[in-house]
Amino acid sequence: MITRLSNLSEHLKEQGTKARLVVGAALDKNVLDAVVSAKNTGFIDVTLIGDASAIEQTLIETGNNGSDIEIIDEKSDYAAGEKAIDFIREGKAQILMNGQENYRGASVITKPLLKKNSDLIKGKTISHIAVFEMENYHKLIAVTDVAINISPDLSTKANIISNAVFLMRRFGIETPKVAVLAAVEVINERMPATMHAAILSKMAQRGQIKNCIIDGPLAFDNAISEESAIYKGIKSEVSGNVDILLAPDLETAGMLYQSLIMIAKAKVASITVGAVAPIVLTTKLDTAETRLNSILLSACTYN
Amino acid sequence: MIKDLSDIFKKASSIKEKKKLVVMAAHDEHVLDAVAVAVEKNIVDAILVGDRKKINEIAEKHNLNFDKCEIIDEKDNDNAAELSIKLIHEGEGQILMKGSLDTASYLRPIIKSKGGLRTGDLLSSLAIFKIDGYHKIWGLTDGGINIAPDMHEKASIINNAVFFFRALGIEKPKVAVLGVVERVRSNMQSTMDAAMLSKMAQRGQIKNCIVDGPLSFDNAISRQSANFKEIESDVAGDADIIVVPNIESANVLYKSIVHLAKVSPGAVIVGASVPVILTSRADTDIIKLNSIALAASVEF
Repeated sequence: MITRLSNLSEHLKEQGTKARLVVGAALDKNVLDAVVSAKNTGFIDVTLIGDASAIEQTLIETGNNGSDIEIIDEKSDYAAGEKAIDFIREGKAQILMNGQENYRGASVITKPLLKKNSDLIKGKTISHIAVFEMENYHKLIAVTDVAINISPDLSTKANIISNAVFLMRRFGIETPKVAVLAAVEVINERMPATMHAAILSKMAQRGQIKNCIIDGPLAFDNAISEESAIYKGIKSEVSGNVDILLAPDLETAGMLYQSLIMIAKAKVASITVGAVAPIVLTTKLDTAETRLNSILLSACTYN
Repeated sequence: MIKDLSDIFKKASSIKEKKKLVVMAAHDEHVLDAVAVAVEKNIVDAILVGDRKKINEIAEKHNLNFDKCEIIDEKDNDNAAELSIKLIHEGEGQILMKGSLDTASYLRPIIKSKGGLRTGDLLSSLAIFKIDGYHKIWGLTDGGINIAPDMHEKASIINNAVFFFRALGIEKPKVAVLGVVERVRSNMQSTMDAAMLSKMAQRGQIKNCIVDGPLSFDNAISRQSANFKEIESDVAGDADIIVVPNIESANVLYKSIVHLAKVSPGAVIVGASVPVILTSRADTDIIKLNSIALAASVEF
């Protein structure tokens, strides 16, 4: 059972598998640092695709000995992105990572990957899951979706939940508890988020969304604090013991993500799931620890 | 506890202060037939507001006895309507029944927000059945008033029915909200409404009842059928109130039971300060009588 982010490497040790990480358009120093740290854990093999001489130069600058890192020379960013995806497609690597943390750079990997009818998606919903560790909450908590789905409809929300349930089950939580967030805990026809939440709860009850308990609408406080739920007269199996928080939209998820990191000083690891391989998408705001944990988290979904 | 429609008659005739039925535009032979029987059975007293001459003619022709009833002579239907509503407001009558006027003219003064009788957000029709093979009476709503209610209106329809069931002595009725299937389908609004109504009851937005839906009709009335579909539900197989998605499904369900299962329900309009009876010409005398007994057996 993974209960802290620091358990990730322990879990990989028990899992006893080694995954290969392929990085497309590897350029950012931050990314290369994280990749080397991941390799040094002994659980991750690495292939970097990009401008080979620039990559070697950066590796030397950062004081890393890149001798056992495979580097494939491809000077065009977009071609490097495509090549990285081919690696996944051909089964040569199991984790995909974006090598650039600027906005344009992210599209190098995500654009070709997410395009319609991609054989890497097979009609599934791709979603981003951020797993937080906080001092004031007794276990890990997943927040979704911070990065991919802007304003998901009902069936997309159901898929986003299923993706997060898949991840939490990999952590050893057999039946994760899911809170569907809204501004209030009651159904209000002027707030579609509350209506979606009620419907999703019933879908879990009827077995349409499997292996989890869903309750919603719940306001954030009702979701994480049983006391707060009791105060509002809410009887819920999820309140105070939630594993997964589904935000109604990207804006809400994003603000929650940033507030947990910047104000609650939470630790986080993120993964994008739903494609044939997990994808690591990091940003400039991430710490070195976050980047490393995100790679390890992705490796945990592979065996 | 009311287990059968016959219990409703017992309850109605055992009420200390007999209820008075106000018949609006009472000069209708089918209605007068039913009212005479109800009075004779000591279920209600009646005030007949209508054309006295016509009422007397019908009484003579059908050999009905209205000696114990007050007759208020009023030939004009609009005036009869106004007077009937006034009698309810003044507490002279505790049940309202439609006589010889069209449904719209009957309901208009009841629904009216100023001076009407409405207490809830809307009026809704509730038919109560007892069927062999089902262990208790159950209600079907809304069979006659709301054509295609939205979620909010369905919540009001549930509230109306729950209020009536509680008046019958069923403290926490179980409400099944029907869909064609027991799963949520985003292309079937009724299944999504049902899911939302369930949560509204769980959150206390709909009070004094347990709501589950979507359930198909068989899941609602048969635990075995629900088990077969692996539905975990407090309501399945034990529903007191069945809420249908629209007027067409209500109508077909109602008529299939009445005509093919040969069961006579009682029906009332709920959502007003008193039970309102709106039987149609097509309803049998026994349905009309059941409806009067049903209205007479509750204290609002």
